[in-house]
Amino acid sequence: MMVSESTIGARGGRTPAHHDVVIVEPFPVVRTGLGLIVEASPGLKVVGTSASAEETVTVIERLGRTQLVVLVSMGLAGESDAYWLIRALRERFPGIVILGLGANADPNTVSRALFTGADGFIDKNVEVEEFLEAIRDASEAEMVIAGPAADSVGTIAEGIERRRSQTFRLTRREREVLVVAAEGLTAREIAERLGVRERTVTTHLARIYGKLGVGNRLAALRLAARSGLLTLPPAE
Amino acid sequence: MSDAVRAVVVAAHPTVRRVVEIACQEAGVIVVDSSGTAAEATAACRSHGPELLVLDLDLPDSDGFRVLADLGDLRPRSILVLAERADGDHVLRALRLGARGYLTKAGGLRDLGTTIRRVIAGERVMTPKLEKDAIGALGRMARHAREGADLAESLTTRQQQVLEFLSQGKTVNQIASRLGISPRTVETHVATLYRRLGVNTRVQAVSQAARLGLVDL
Repeated sequence: MMVSESTIGARGGRTPAHHDVVIVEPFPVVRTGLGLIVEASPGLKVVGTSASAEETVTVIERLGRTQLVVLVSMGLAGESDAYWLIRALRERFPGIVILGLGANADPNTVSRALFTGADGFIDKNVEVEEFLEAIRDASEAEMVIAGPAADSVGTIAEGIERRRSQTFRLTRREREVLVVAAEGLTAREIAERLGVRERTVTTHLARIYGKLGVGNRLAALRLAARSGLLTLPPAE
Repeated sequence: MSDAVRAVVVAAHPTVRRVVEIACQEAGVIVVDSSGTAAEATAACRSHGPELLVLDLDLPDSDGFRVLADLGDLRPRSILVLAERADGDHVLRALRLGARGYLTKAGGLRDLGTTIRRVIAGERVMTPKLEKDAIGALGRMARHAREGADLAESLTTRQQQVLEFLSQGKTVNQIASRLGISPRTVETHVATLYRRLGVNTRVQAVSQAARLGLVDL
């Protein structure tokens, strides 16, 4: 375990490993608090903080390194939510350690975070020591689940399995909808183009989001583009 | 007396069975059935609907996982698993099938009465090491699921069909005639699939695809 390893390291005269941490948390008070706790902990150093998903990508790009632990608060809301960020980080920076940070998260949230690309999950309602220990373990490439979710490992695994089987195989109609959606049309415009009702299009879109494990159209398009389902026009 | 917990006990070895029965007694649990095979265990759970199942995974006719899978929704509320093997994948599998406790027969049968009480109370009972290993297995599983889903998304419908037929053991010619395309085209699809799966042979392709959850074997 991590503790004994660092003890051995100290005895051997090596300097204990240092881990750089980025904190992504929308609430300023919580963000600052987390920063202080992590910063005060031996071996951990806060190298960046961010309040939104987009900002996080910029922050990590600017840091220009992959030896990082990124704590992603599941409370990120809006167009680019926590799942969007986890997937974006996983794609762009495959080497970094991504931890979902929950507030009394249910097993479903944890399943989705892990399936989307998180390396572990920590809940804010754990004791400070357990919180820090989990960050250290995760930075040593160990899978961590800290908090109430640790009691539901079986349920979380079942949730991942369910997501995996759902993700399979968009139907041809769903692919068509997605391709047209990539042109930036509204649901009504898509409906006109395909000669179906607007309601049908929104149902298709919802099902596609569910299958791809994303929360919005942008994320669905990015994912589909990455996996070769469709080609996106270059960003301006 | 009427609200006492009733248990079904299953263990291949009579000695282990006896130890469990005694521990149940200690914990104030009534053993309504005690047997040594998966078939008997499944039948006993179906007919008694016990609150507790103490299940040895290593059974002569099948394994304990099979019992839990077969019982489905009829699985008892509290399940304590006893096992020879203690790796993360095994523990995770037991947890997925509803187990609350996981003990290795080599290490864990001493305070069995206490363990049984805790499992009935809804606690998760296993060593921190096993718990950690199970979480490690969960991480691997999540990664495979993600990779598999990503790969599946990137395959064309045609490639998915060819993969499905490959896993059924069909030959190139059989696949070609089933899909109404030339054997040559099938071979091209197969080559692409090998590349995407990172494999060189059909057996590897099928087992890798199964591992990633792309096909059922």
